[in-house]
Amino acid sequence: MAQLIDILLYKLAIWKKLSASSSRVLSIKNIFSFIVYAAFAVGAFFFARIVTWYLLEYIRIGLFLFHRFIAIVLFVFFLTVSAGNIVVSFSTLYRSPEMSFLLSRPVPYATIFLVKFLDNFFYSSGTLFLASFAVLLGYGSYFGMPWYFYPTILFGVMVPYMLLAASLAVIVLLAVMKLAAVVNFRVLIACVVAGYFLQIAAYFSLTSPVALVKEVMRYYPFVNVYYGDLDPAVTRFLPNYWFAQVLYFWIIGFSAGAASNAAALILTSLGALVVAVLLGGRFFYETWLTSISLQFQTRRARTASLPFFHFERESRFRPHVEAVLKKELWLFLRDPSQWIHAAVLGGLLLVFLASVGSMQLKVETPDLRAVIYIVIFVFNAFLLASIALRFAFPMVSLEGQAYWSLRSAPIAASTMYWIKYAATLSFLVLLGVAIWFGTNIPYRGIPLLLASSFVGILAIAGAGASLNFGMGAAYANFTEKNPIRIASSQGATMTFLLTMVLLAAIVGIYFYPIVSLFVTHYTGRPVPVSAMRFAVGVVVTIAAVVSIVSHVAGLRALKNDL
Amino acid sequence: MIVLDHITKQFGAFAAVDDLSLTVPSGEFFGFLGPNGAGKTTTIKMMTGLFTPTRGRILINGFDVVQEPIDAKRTFGYIPDHPFLYDKLTGREFLFYIGALHELPKAALKLTVEKVIDQLELASWIDQRTEEYSQGMRQRVTFAAAFVHDPGTIIIDEPMVGLDPRSARIVKDMLKQKTREGASVFMSTHILEMADELCDRVGIIHRGKMIFLGSKAEMHEEKLKYDGKLESVFLELTKDDPF
Repeated sequence: MAQLIDILLYKLAIWKKLSASSSRVLSIKNIFSFIVYAAFAVGAFFFARIVTWYLLEYIRIGLFLFHRFIAIVLFVFFLTVSAGNIVVSFSTLYRSPEMSFLLSRPVPYATIFLVKFLDNFFYSSGTLFLASFAVLLGYGSYFGMPWYFYPTILFGVMVPYMLLAASLAVIVLLAVMKLAAVVNFRVLIACVVAGYFLQIAAYFSLTSPVALVKEVMRYYPFVNVYYGDLDPAVTRFLPNYWFAQVLYFWIIGFSAGAASNAAALILTSLGALVVAVLLGGRFFYETWLTSISLQFQTRRARTASLPFFHFERESRFRPHVEAVLKKELWLFLRDPSQWIHAAVLGGLLLVFLASVGSMQLKVETPDLRAVIYIVIFVFNAFLLASIALRFAFPMVSLEGQAYWSLRSAPIAASTMYWIKYAATLSFLVLLGVAIWFGTNIPYRGIPLLLASSFVGILAIAGAGASLNFGMGAAYANFTEKNPIRIASSQGATMTFLLTMVLLAAIVGIYFYPIVSLFVTHYTGRPVPVSAMRFAVGVVVTIAAVVSIVSHVAGLRALKNDL
Repeated sequence: MIVLDHITKQFGAFAAVDDLSLTVPSGEFFGFLGPNGAGKTTTIKMMTGLFTPTRGRILINGFDVVQEPIDAKRTFGYIPDHPFLYDKLTGREFLFYIGALHELPKAALKLTVEKVIDQLELASWIDQRTEEYSQGMRQRVTFAAAFVHDPGTIIIDEPMVGLDPRSARIVKDMLKQKTREGASVFMSTHILEMADELCDRVGIIHRGKMIFLGSKAEMHEEKLKYDGKLESVFLELTKDDPF
């Protein structure tokens, strides 16, 4: 135990030293970060408060349904945290150079495993905690909750909830690595990805949210009554349900119900953590050795693939462009933490598009139709922002310590920057267009809506790519090899929050024109073309300004000493 | 040819390199010596465009490294002190990558890559990913990368780190051959015997300032003042003043 605390204290000391500002540039960056964090927290607070007010007082869905919606969001959140933790844990437990150092010291495997687990957990969950707590404040303030509600929910519910997701993730990872000794690693990865999709499909098919809404709405206006008997039995064993129940019971003043659900969550979480640590102590070293031999096998197996992209082949591109693009392609395809994450996100995206495409919404009021449309738009934008953060932000940092070879070669750093940016932008724009196309099929009859949302998505893709790429260059860390850790760094967190502010601004600008458009479309009144044009103009201008500022910051940073 | 014209590099109030001037003509093998933290790597990083000088001018083969960085970089090859490579690329891919950055025609590049692979005896492992390489193998690949475009100037920071005796011999012979062909070599090293063996001229830097600069003959004279060893000259010159 003393050893564990010692290691954790050293890690804390390292983190504090790295975070402490010793130069003017760092101080400015820290002040800027603080402003962005604060702005984001305030934004998230008001967003949560307004959404709560809107659903409960404007749409009037009732407390029961409202908390069932929270449960759905929490389920997706749980899977996201869990999937993210699998990838991060794989990188830090099996790919980190620090592991060779720790394993060569007289430290028990269980301690090493726990240290890295906690390291991952707090490192990769910092932003989520910040965002979740700001949302919790918004939610709680709407209901006028007492001060002790917030720390109780944060430490008694939110932390155990995320800890449970992370513990399950490392248990799955250990199982995968244990099986990797006898089963093809790619097959195992495919099984894990399929398992996550099956969980999503099973959850939505078992809970059937649309049926639940219909059932509850049959009793309208008595929607504040507890309709727990309508919940499918299986959901009562899920942590997202416990979390939502704690909130619901606390709001309605049923303390015993809140406490019992919180206890279930805490005990399950502790149990999962204990199991994870025991399994880590028993299997970590063995699976680490498996990962080493696996690395060697997969390296050799993949060397001769995709001959079209080999460096020796002639290309129509200019040599600089060809060299940088081919290098990026190979580095991406040969790094499991990159392609596995891309595959998972790609799969989730397909599920999302398929779900939205097949959604049969029998909603009568134009207001509600508009809100549903905006929610989907926000989700699209959020998806693009997340992908931009994960893949665009680390692009410059991933040059790594081999960056000397490019900086000392006859190519301007800005040329490298623009080549990589062009690739990133193309990818995000294509993705944005695909998402826009997939989610706008039901709205074919409203051309102005299609055009404005198309421009909106392009603006978000463009500004998101620029912001993440530019800030990624400004906050480049050439010593960190792990792209996930780069995308979870202080600079990345700040960039994500800035992106959220940008999204909020774009959605805010679009909100009333889109609502008006739906209302006029379904009531036969004149369409608000000029209002929409103005909104589009403002959005494009904001996107352009954000892009320019980001590139200026990124390009200036590239001139720094290496 | 290398010209360092009153270059200074300051980090805050600390001058890592302080008003350093030096000319290395074509065909000369220059040894750059100094204790740890003397400013050797900082000087080399300024020469290769990785650092920007606070003051002064650096010309490599007639091109100003700050004003005409692309032209300057076309003319030199650089071997850093730590041979970091892209882990997921093979050694051969890295050589092609560097060749493409130098905009070499593909056909010529293929021949050159084969030639340096042969010269540095890399063939048996060059198609493995560099993450599998030892330190010495990485170092040999960085040497190969520096020779791919047949540079007129070679800048080396601690060249023998991790090299086995056979590889060290190959590298030394290649560098000597390059100087015979008219290239200038600027080599920073801690290994005094190597400087003694290879260099036409030696400079010793201490606390950012050049404290000794002399040809082989001058170096010899200086050595005779002590016990005939370059090591003694070095230790005496870089002895820390207690005040």
